[in-house]
Amino acid sequence: MRIAIVFLAATLSGAWAQDTKMPVPLEKLALDKLAEKAVESVDVTLDGNLLQLAGKFLSEKDADQAKAKKLIAGLKSIMVRSFTFAKDGEYNLGDYPDLRDHVQLPAGWSHIVGVTSKRGGDNVDVYLKTGDGSQIGGLVVIAAEPKELTIVHITGTIRPEDLADLGGQFGIPKLDVPRKNSEQKKGKE
Amino acid sequence: MSRIEDALRKALRREEPPEGFAERVMARIQSRDREAAGVREAIGPWGGLLAAFREPHLRWAAVCAAAALLVGGLEYRSQRLERAEGERASRQVMLALRITGSKLRLAQDHVRRIDYAPVERKERL
Repeated sequence: MRIAIVFLAATLSGAWAQDTKMPVPLEKLALDKLAEKAVESVDVTLDGNLLQLAGKFLSEKDADQAKAKKLIAGLKSIMVRSFTFAKDGEYNLGDYPDLRDHVQLPAGWSHIVGVTSKRGGDNVDVYLKTGDGSQIGGLVVIAAEPKELTIVHITGTIRPEDLADLGGQFGIPKLDVPRKNSEQKKGKE
Repeated sequence: MSRIEDALRKALRREEPPEGFAERVMARIQSRDREAAGVREAIGPWGGLLAAFREPHLRWAAVCAAAALLVGGLEYRSQRLERAEGERASRQVMLALRITGSKLRLAQDHVRRIDYAPVERKERL
């Protein structure tokens, strides 16, 4: 019996680790060194418990906060690292293709957008993990701009319409993600 | 009957106190007052308060009140900490979602530019 429990726990923890495993090799980015050079750095790491706690303190009255509250309800974790530099070239943007080559996508992840600039512009990659049904199981965004490097890793259930809200709310224009048929009908009515 | 009356009269007859009785009584009263004053000075005002807790029911009431204060204080502190942590987490959530949204928007802008570029060229032709 004990062996079965230990085996089950190990399997579940393995599955959880696989689920929350970062497909981007952060250790290869030497983030501490980047943080030293950056004029501004953001380091946000929120696990399921903190997200649940944060949800209690997000106001229903504020439109952005209400959207965020709805969005984080299905999330397991959020990790954001962002570095802003004073001048172009303060971090080696040329290393970006190498970084992308090192991205190890576990099963279920897909590379949906890849923008590469050969003239020192923006490089953006978006990876999605397919979840249950039409839902998204995770999101990774890596954006390397001349003065800014951002890595986002979100795990948990994200509805496509939430992804649209993510692009449309919080003070920035909306992403064109198609809504479900039922919602489109509602909209027409 | 007269014998009983004689016995009663003898027992209840007025008798003069011994020499110096009144002085001795007064001296003893004064000495007790002095002792009480000395004890009050020695224990101070808090000692007097503590002395009140020699009563068992008062002692238990004090213990219960102190325990309730301690539990209430700890609960209040824990709620304050949770509130501070929750507010910080909610600010971080908003920041993380804003950053994520802006980067998704950046990706979308690039994709749109690629999508619309051939159409714009055709229209120009």
